[in-house]
Amino acid sequence: MFRRGSDRAGAVHGPAHTVLAAVLPPAAVPVGVVPVTAGGTTSAMFRPRTVGEAVEMLAAAHDSGAAVALLGGGTDLVPALRSGERAAEVVVALRRVLELRVRGAGADSLTIGAGVTYTDLAGWSLSPGLARAARVVGSVQIRNTGTVGGALGSARPAGDLLTFLTAADAEVLTTSPRGSDRLPLPRFLAEGLAPDALVTAVRLARPGGPQVYLKIGERQAAYPAVVSCAVLVDRVRHRLTCAVGGVGLLPARMEAAERYARDEVDWSTGTVSSAAARRFGDLVVEAATRITPALPAGPRGSAEYRWHAAGVLAGRAFARCLHVTAPPASGPVGDFAAGGQP
Amino acid sequence: MGGEAVSGGIGRSVRRPDGPDKASGVFRYAGDLRVPGMLHARTLRSPHPRARLGRIDAAAARRLPGVAAVVTAADVPGVATYGLIVADQPVFAAAEVRYAGEPVAAVAAVDVATARRALAAIEVDYEPLPPSTDPERVLAADAESLHPAGNLFREIDIRHGEPGVDGPVVVEDRYVVGMQDQAFLAPEAALVSPAADGGVDLLVATQWLHSDREQLAACLGIPENLVRLTLAGVGGAFGGREDVTLQIHGALLARATGAPVRIAYDRVESFLGHPHRHPARMWFRHTATADGELVSVQANVVLDGGAYASSSPAVLANAVTHAAGPYRVPHTRLRGVAVRTNNPPCGAMRGFGVPQVTIGHEAQMDRLADALGMDPVELRIRNAVRPGDVLPTGQVLGAPLPARELIQLVAARPLPPPPTADVTGLALPGGLPAAAEPGRVRRGVGYALAYKNLLFSEGMDDSSAARVRLDLTDDGTPRVRVHSACAEVGQGFVTIAGQIARTELGVEQVVLAPADTAVGSAGSTSASRQTWMSGGAVRGACVAVADRLLARVARAADLPAEVVEAPRRTLRIAAGHIVGVEAGLRIGIADALAEGPIEADYTFHHRRTTALDAEGQGDPHVAFAGAAHRAVVDVDIDLGLVRVVSMALAQDCGTVLNPLSLRGQVEGGTAQGLGLALMEELITVDGVVVNPTFHDYLLPTIADVPDLDFVAVTEPQPDAPYGVKGVGEAPTCTATPAIVAAIRAAVGRDLRRVPVRPQDLVDLPTRPDLPTGSDLPTGSDVPAGVDVPTRAGVDPAGGASTA
Repeated sequence: MFRRGSDRAGAVHGPAHTVLAAVLPPAAVPVGVVPVTAGGTTSAMFRPRTVGEAVEMLAAAHDSGAAVALLGGGTDLVPALRSGERAAEVVVALRRVLELRVRGAGADSLTIGAGVTYTDLAGWSLSPGLARAARVVGSVQIRNTGTVGGALGSARPAGDLLTFLTAADAEVLTTSPRGSDRLPLPRFLAEGLAPDALVTAVRLARPGGPQVYLKIGERQAAYPAVVSCAVLVDRVRHRLTCAVGGVGLLPARMEAAERYARDEVDWSTGTVSSAAARRFGDLVVEAATRITPALPAGPRGSAEYRWHAAGVLAGRAFARCLHVTAPPASGPVGDFAAGGQP
Repeated sequence: MGGEAVSGGIGRSVRRPDGPDKASGVFRYAGDLRVPGMLHARTLRSPHPRARLGRIDAAAARRLPGVAAVVTAADVPGVATYGLIVADQPVFAAAEVRYAGEPVAAVAAVDVATARRALAAIEVDYEPLPPSTDPERVLAADAESLHPAGNLFREIDIRHGEPGVDGPVVVEDRYVVGMQDQAFLAPEAALVSPAADGGVDLLVATQWLHSDREQLAACLGIPENLVRLTLAGVGGAFGGREDVTLQIHGALLARATGAPVRIAYDRVESFLGHPHRHPARMWFRHTATADGELVSVQANVVLDGGAYASSSPAVLANAVTHAAGPYRVPHTRLRGVAVRTNNPPCGAMRGFGVPQVTIGHEAQMDRLADALGMDPVELRIRNAVRPGDVLPTGQVLGAPLPARELIQLVAARPLPPPPTADVTGLALPGGLPAAAEPGRVRRGVGYALAYKNLLFSEGMDDSSAARVRLDLTDDGTPRVRVHSACAEVGQGFVTIAGQIARTELGVEQVVLAPADTAVGSAGSTSASRQTWMSGGAVRGACVAVADRLLARVARAADLPAEVVEAPRRTLRIAAGHIVGVEAGLRIGIADALAEGPIEADYTFHHRRTTALDAEGQGDPHVAFAGAAHRAVVDVDIDLGLVRVVSMALAQDCGTVLNPLSLRGQVEGGTAQGLGLALMEELITVDGVVVNPTFHDYLLPTIADVPDLDFVAVTEPQPDAPYGVKGVGEAPTCTATPAIVAAIRAAVGRDLRRVPVRPQDLVDLPTRPDLPTGSDLPTGSDVPAGVDVPTRAGVDPAGGASTA
């Protein structure tokens, strides 16, 4: 994402290459320390080839007391270093760690390496909902370089991937000198990453039904989400999950609306009444107004608008995931056929 | 003159010589310039919108290895302040900082990283003071003066016709316009070298070399002839380079270090470093007869000029004199103030005060049409000005100004097909994320008509000089060398100068010398003036060269003395030759140049105008250009997402010298107006800009701007060279209100704030589109004919701002 701000495993690379190319020798050493200038500070750059090496370097840097930054695509980290918002004495660049760039599918789950880019995800047939969310991130340049690990590290309030993963009950896989670990996404976001740990992958269940991700912003393309919403339906487990981004400091699950959906949906047919779709949106508005901590009042989109828009998006996503029995006379739900059934 | 067979003359779509380099990324912009041994400079800026400035301790910064110099206010040898119109802006803040982002010091070091570290090492004692950020409060009797020159940059009160005369149909409201930024893509940059004679040489991206030179020389305390500027590659300007930004800082550092200095801004600094478009708060009251004839227009405009004057006084004059729009109005009272606050300074931007009032008067015209039950196009046609009409300033409108033809033409353009239920992707409001629901999308169509003054106003003699030399190349081919200080900022002088020279001199090869201060001033590249003014200067110089060439030929051919004195009656230039049919003479230009080159200087002046008197009466504007836009939008009415479906433009262009270049200007002007309508706003909170990046300050992308359906009206302007008019600004004025009108038509609610935000288009418990506690009158509290005070009063509620 083309944003300023802090991240742990950043995401860019247009800018990153510009900066790095200037200081790296033509045949850069595979592993080693290279002085690198990004912004006002001079840093040492580590370029591990394996997760094991990366963790060793992180641990060593941590022990030395240096400020460390993980470089994924760099879309967040590089602007932050340039603006002085972040300073790093050691940069661990993860692009060469091929293990991190793997994605795979098990019987029940999908595992996506932290180095997988949005472009990699955008064409992934095993997770059409995630693919659609990835396709509307930033611009093509951003999608070519931004990574899953960067999205988790940056933890943007309305981050596209983060909102989807929040609805997907994703787990975050990490590795540190103490071994590997696996945390539910909310816990990972609440606790943050240990300074000597690395996000290696994210794991989520294989889709069990329609999944819709919607976002709004202030132009037709290449915009950061003002409000985003993901609705995921599991037709097997009779379950619907919904997350809203852009209202709180982090994407939030809409639990009351989810419970309502569980009871209202006719799971044998995947059908729901049009009144229920509206009620679902209303429940999301109610929950949105109570999200804490709320995003501080920003220049764009008043809190009232964000709550309202969250309800409209949720109602629409809900209707697009399910068969609505009769269109409502009015309200946010219109032409369901246009929705995104996978 | 007839350059019959010479290609690339006026009227041709001659391509820009820098086009391929710019498109392929190899063009050298000012920021790309490097010389061996140069130092890198960076600027330290105040984080506070207002603070008393105590000690500045740069000792630690100076001690850092690699730091060559640190300069502050104490190091300015000449005048401590500068400015385009009034020198009220300190080179560096000395006793007080007045806006967040104001320069406090600058550093030159061996590299950028060291310069940045040095900035961080400078200790500045700020004692923050409460900022005044509400432009409607700073003129109150008890308001604190923010500057020794006071808080009022200018006040204008135009009275025309009879006071208190009203029509039976009345429409009245307030409007707010946010702060747009020029947001040119190549940030400010200069390469400054100290010279052996004690002067400085600057390569700089600017709009007006000679104004920069004058201000530089004053602040450096050296004669102007020791300050030499050459234009470096400019990546957009739009008014944002009319003011001095980093020029003086770079020159101080170059002189302090004795080394060449590259000084440059990054994106954030660019957003903070140049003046922006004035945010406006406006009140309008329109009255009309029952059959739709305008009877009176009252307007009251408050422009927030920010901390320093920049061009505020001139911007205000434009805003107020254009506030009634291109309509015949018997009775007008148009007032306005430009005030000082602790917000970022505002100054020149494309349209220069006219876009703001156009947003107001066009919203009023639509609401008046509603009140009358009339079609908005019909209302505009009925009231549009015609040449010979008397404007609110008393100025008689000169020809041509085809206002009614423009609105008729644009209304007759074919409409796009209606929206369908199966649209997807970019065709939906909000684009690919497909949040919009086709069944909840409503279409709207809106119109706007405006006129915009051309060239400098109010008695200014903003002349332009050019030098033209006709000589032979080494292989004996005739060549024209044009030397003008006209700053090419994308407007197209690079093709126009050559087109004019080819047309006048019948010589194909034209070389444009670098724009620099070795030739006389061309004036600013602003105010839609360079094709007219510098085009006029180049033409004048070419004509003088041609006259001398013909006289030389006549003399050599022993033609009678009266032919030598007035050779054009007998001789003419035709495609590389001088031809005299009666005299039976035909000689190649190359042969005529054998005895030496011919050179001539010419200075072009436009007709004189006059200042406004105490009643706001005068003959202030040289000429006007009109434009009319029609916008078609789709709005998702639940989310307030807007997509502009189509834009049509009819514009009063005068003679077209380069159709391709014209197209570029009107498309760019339309896109910039679209940006202001929907997304472009630099937002301040308590005086601090909170979105100075392209992540947070959104510009329209190619997905936001539809193809432009453009019709040019080409009636020649009689007093301009070839009959040209400036074309870059008028469409910027009309694009914004046309889009706002279309959104209003789609959602069925009056819109009073620009940019229009999604939150302004949906039903929410509160609707904060106008600032609270404003002193501008509202529709409810001012009865007809009541005299509305211009000066802001005191509101005990206090503290509201456009943020």
